[in-house]
Amino acid sequence: MKLTHREVDGIMILEPRGKIMGGPDATLLHDQLHDFIKENKKKVVINLAKVDWMNSTGLGILISGLTTMKNNGGELKLANVTEKIESLLTITKLITVFENYDSLDEAIKSFS
Amino acid sequence: MSEVVKKPGKIIIPSDQVYLQELDEFLEETLRNFSMAEGDIADVAISVTELVNNAIVHGNASDPDKMVDVEMILKDSSVEITVTDEGDGIDLSDIPDPLSDENILKETGRGIFIVRSLMDEVDITAGKDGGTVVRLVKKFDPVK
Repeated sequence: MKLTHREVDGIMILEPRGKIMGGPDATLLHDQLHDFIKENKKKVVINLAKVDWMNSTGLGILISGLTTMKNNGGELKLANVTEKIESLLTITKLITVFENYDSLDEAIKSFS
Repeated sequence: MSEVVKKPGKIIIPSDQVYLQELDEFLEETLRNFSMAEGDIADVAISVTELVNNAIVHGNASDPDKMVDVEMILKDSSVEITVTDEGDGIDLSDIPDPLSDENILKETGRGIFIVRSLMDEVDITAGKDGGTVVRLVKKFDPVK
């Protein structure tokens, strides 16, 4: 997995690419979220448009991100969840846990 | 430290998560050669990386001298995959229900549940010489 980020209207957009399957992937997103919290940037969207698939490690990373942001008074939302990942979120019932938007624009607007 | 061994339809990796990427590339290349569609390849890759991750961390306790063996055999319109580790075995009764309210926000514990949902057959047995053997079957319609 590769991870980049950018800021749009005060919202931090995290953009992983590739596959999220464990190993070094687990710490990348965690460390980036903690950097955001230190900078008092607590509105985050993870744009999953370029993530082909993830296994349960990837789902664990998303949950860790969600709880980390909530525990620090922030919010984390998902955008552009691909069909394969949506199917995993559905069978694990995690679809009920995440705010999930069809586009990045919708996710960004949801904070206002 | 041991090294990755690749043969046709078979890859043996040391117990270190850094090899998951190489495993995935090997899996996907092999399954494309079996004329499997991309969606089915993703299901198998998700499942096998899941099991190999478990084998590395829980089975072999990340001991780089212990190996994880993955073998894929094409059978008509299905692929059979076995993942074998050199650990002490797993107790499936230890795995809590990942869908229950008290577990829904846990970061781990969904792996086997996901594998069972994506594969057509999943058998978990003790290996003859110790360790755990997981046998998977995925049925598929070959891409023309």
